[in-house]
Amino acid sequence: MKPPPFEYQAPASVEEALPLLGPDSAVLAGGQSLVPLLNLRLARPELVVDLNGIAELDYIHADDGVLRIGAMTRQVALERSELVRERWPLLHKAVRFVGHAQIRTRGTVGGSVAHADPAAELPVALAALRARFLLRSPRGERVVGAAELFVGPLSTSREPDELLFEIEVPEHPAGAGAGFSEHARTHGDFATAGAAAVVVPGSHAGIALLGAGPVPARAEAAEEALVGGASAREAADLAVRDVEGEHRRALCGELARRAIEEALG
Amino acid sequence: MGTEAGLSAGRLVGRPVRRREDERILRGKTRYLDDIDPPGAAHVAFVRSPFAHARIGGVEVPDALEGTFAAITAADLEGRVGDLPVQGIQGGWVAEQGHPVLASEEALYSGQPVAAVLAESRALAEDAAELVEVDYEPLEPVLDTRASDVTMSRWHKLSGDVEGAFRSAAHVVRASHSLPRLAPVPMEPRGAIASYDEAEDILTVWVSAQDSHRQLAGLAKVLDRPEESIHVIVPDVGGAFGSKGVPAPETVLVALAALTTGRTVKWAEDREENLVASYQGRGVEADVELALDADGKMLGLRARIRADLGAYLMPTTAIPAHTTAMLMCGVYDIQAADVEVVGARTNKVPTGPYRGAGRPEAAYFLECTVDVAARELGMDPLELRRRNLVREFPYKTALGWTYDSGDYERCLELAAELVGPERRSDEERVVGTGFGMYVERAGGQFESARAELLPDGRLLVRSGSSPHGQGHDTTFAQLAAERLGVGLEDVELRFGDSEEVPRGVGTFASRSVAMGGSAVVEAVDALKEKCAAVAARVLEVGEDEPAWGEGGSISAADGRTMSLRELAAAEPGIHADARFSSDLSFSSGAYGAVVEIERATGSLRVQRLVAVDDAGNIVNPLLAEGQVIGGIAQGLGQCLVEEAVYDEEGNPTFASFVGYSLLTAAEMPPVTAAFVESPTPLNPIGAKGIGEGGSIGTPAAMANAVADALGGIRVDPPFSEEKLWGALRKSGR
Repeated sequence: MKPPPFEYQAPASVEEALPLLGPDSAVLAGGQSLVPLLNLRLARPELVVDLNGIAELDYIHADDGVLRIGAMTRQVALERSELVRERWPLLHKAVRFVGHAQIRTRGTVGGSVAHADPAAELPVALAALRARFLLRSPRGERVVGAAELFVGPLSTSREPDELLFEIEVPEHPAGAGAGFSEHARTHGDFATAGAAAVVVPGSHAGIALLGAGPVPARAEAAEEALVGGASAREAADLAVRDVEGEHRRALCGELARRAIEEALG
Repeated sequence: MGTEAGLSAGRLVGRPVRRREDERILRGKTRYLDDIDPPGAAHVAFVRSPFAHARIGGVEVPDALEGTFAAITAADLEGRVGDLPVQGIQGGWVAEQGHPVLASEEALYSGQPVAAVLAESRALAEDAAELVEVDYEPLEPVLDTRASDVTMSRWHKLSGDVEGAFRSAAHVVRASHSLPRLAPVPMEPRGAIASYDEAEDILTVWVSAQDSHRQLAGLAKVLDRPEESIHVIVPDVGGAFGSKGVPAPETVLVALAALTTGRTVKWAEDREENLVASYQGRGVEADVELALDADGKMLGLRARIRADLGAYLMPTTAIPAHTTAMLMCGVYDIQAADVEVVGARTNKVPTGPYRGAGRPEAAYFLECTVDVAARELGMDPLELRRRNLVREFPYKTALGWTYDSGDYERCLELAAELVGPERRSDEERVVGTGFGMYVERAGGQFESARAELLPDGRLLVRSGSSPHGQGHDTTFAQLAAERLGVGLEDVELRFGDSEEVPRGVGTFASRSVAMGGSAVVEAVDALKEKCAAVAARVLEVGEDEPAWGEGGSISAADGRTMSLRELAAAEPGIHADARFSSDLSFSSGAYGAVVEIERATGSLRVQRLVAVDDAGNIVNPLLAEGQVIGGIAQGLGQCLVEEAVYDEEGNPTFASFVGYSLLTAAEMPPVTAAFVESPTPLNPIGAKGIGEGGSIGTPAAMANAVADALGGIRVDPPFSEEKLWGALRKSGR
């Protein structure tokens, strides 16, 4: 479990980093996924671009009601942010389910998004919150939603020369409650299933499932039903109607129900 | 918890002394194998078969790469090294299918070593290993014992009138059971370092192992070298659970590479290698039939046991299933038994001893069948057990072992009282209770010790037993200090170096206190006799006159006294050896579990678990409880999440902790551990064994609790949500 040989660069700024990105390079953020993949020789980049020296990518702030999270923000910073806990409680609830404290201390918000593991918590919560993802390359900048970013397991629409720069999260609608539930074999293990919900009774619902499909995706039919007055159980059943496997469907449905009920308070 | 004050001398055995080795361990002052970093060593990486079964057309090693010293293939080993030896089983047959050091014409499991590369660093060795070209022709793998046409071990015993018992029975119950393969997963993986001194013709091998002498004997045999020419050093060891008992093929290769290249060679395996290439535990199925009369008296038992032994026999591969067979009558007085074991060859890594090593399997097969019987007879499972327990000792079982001591009924009643059986269901969950009893083969063979009086009057004890987490340094010191009447701080223990310690058998099978501890006690007793003779001579009194007093002092009748330091000065180098041997002793116990299963998801929660173990006299209740709790964590791991799954092509899906799950502290339920102490008459301490009880009693109790919660539907471990959810829907509860 030693990585194959690779070149290593540690740029000090985004400007320095961008020209280094390409099809043969890998971006090292918190290293909680890339380093094991390197050690198992499953990832074989020619160049590893280490972002840990780029201070400008590490921030959490609210801007006109929009939460802006720099890609290199450690998960633990999200977890401990008073701002996030008070105004984006879904993110606060979700990040506490990520691995163990040691993992959250190194792991980054951007790394979790860019790695796009279908068992990861943050992409699911961000999908439910209708977050937008800022990508930058020498060619310019673009902004995409979760539906556009996540294209498959461990796969995003990020181009090889693009850097995930920032995550922006719209304000929780007034009066919204948040709920996050998940199931893992053991504490801190990869989740087998889960659900995130942010709900204002009668006016707004954001629901996304974990472990129900190849990508974190909003359950729009369930959201509409919930806004239209459906019960948590009915909405959860709708959310999982296409989930494959009887037990997985039951498990995801139960977790969706719990998340919605938690959000409804 | 006891305080250290007041433990300086006097009564030490039976007290909860804290592990005195822990400070060193917790401060990182230990020296594990990978901490040994000989300058200029060649590091080994193995090329391992990516196929479960393949013909090997040829192996091509790359031309010399920078930083790479050598590549070794099976062709280089011809005539230099044999296959690993195979140990027999009493009254049974085993095939001569020892594990080769490197695969030559065929690879028989995914992960089998095919070649080795030596380089300046492990990273360079791994780079070079990728360039070794092996011409594999994949062949169909055999992954199920039922599909295997190669038997590698067989054992059968028929005792008593089994046919008559089944003919006259009012009830015959049948049940089939299966326990999956488990990876042992010690915190420290395996590893070895070897260095050859050509001038002296001495091969020195540092190895992460359960003892030094089995490694020494195994290496001598495979390498065909005299034992005197091999020096084995076992450094600090971070766990084994049975998986470091006999030399690994990789260790042999390291030793051979040191002999042939003249370099110091190091192999410190990584987690991936450890998961796919360490021998595994369990992997056993059984069909069990129990004949009972109208009152629930057990008349006879039949069992057909199929063990998935894997591709080769490691030296100890055949032993666990034999132990299972011999223990199939459990704690019950069953006069007629017909038990057969067939060990089948499959294209998987070999199995071998893993904490419990056949005992959890026996307890699981029998105790689950007993609960099936209780349900079919409409009888309380506790009452059915009570009617059949062995009550008089020694008791010779139909299968041939003699239980030396115990109080099975007391264990059962205590477990029932402590657990508080519960059975209920509501809209959200079902709750059930189960019990599992066990007998454990412990001890046996021999163990040795040397006690020496040091010049400063302290006691040095060298033991052939070898710690890797058990706490020998504390328990053995308690035994020796109390025997000599000195404080713990006056006793120093030494383990694990074949030139420093007397030949022993090792630490496994819950045998260290009973066997190693008894050897320590006898060596100290013999030392005391020698000291008394010296005192008599110096004090010029009769040989029988000197009497031992406080603090290890010895006095003549007129009050003249010599301290241990004075004795050591009067005659430097006083020492005594002991070799203690005994028949097997049999620990026992009763476990109870209460579980709840959530209807919506099938998720299982262990509400509480009770362990009642009878390991005879307990030398240190704190460490004994630690052994019980650790064993329970492994038993629960097996019940809840652990399973080494091969895919349909025979590839391991458990090459990392993504594919192999271990319990964390968060999953541990409240555990109550209690002890019944029926001393064994077989050793001077009266101790049996406590190292494995938790792993033996837990799966049976858990499985019976799950079946109780599911209204009688049985499932085999691991009790995944999916299995339980499906079973609960079927149960109609």
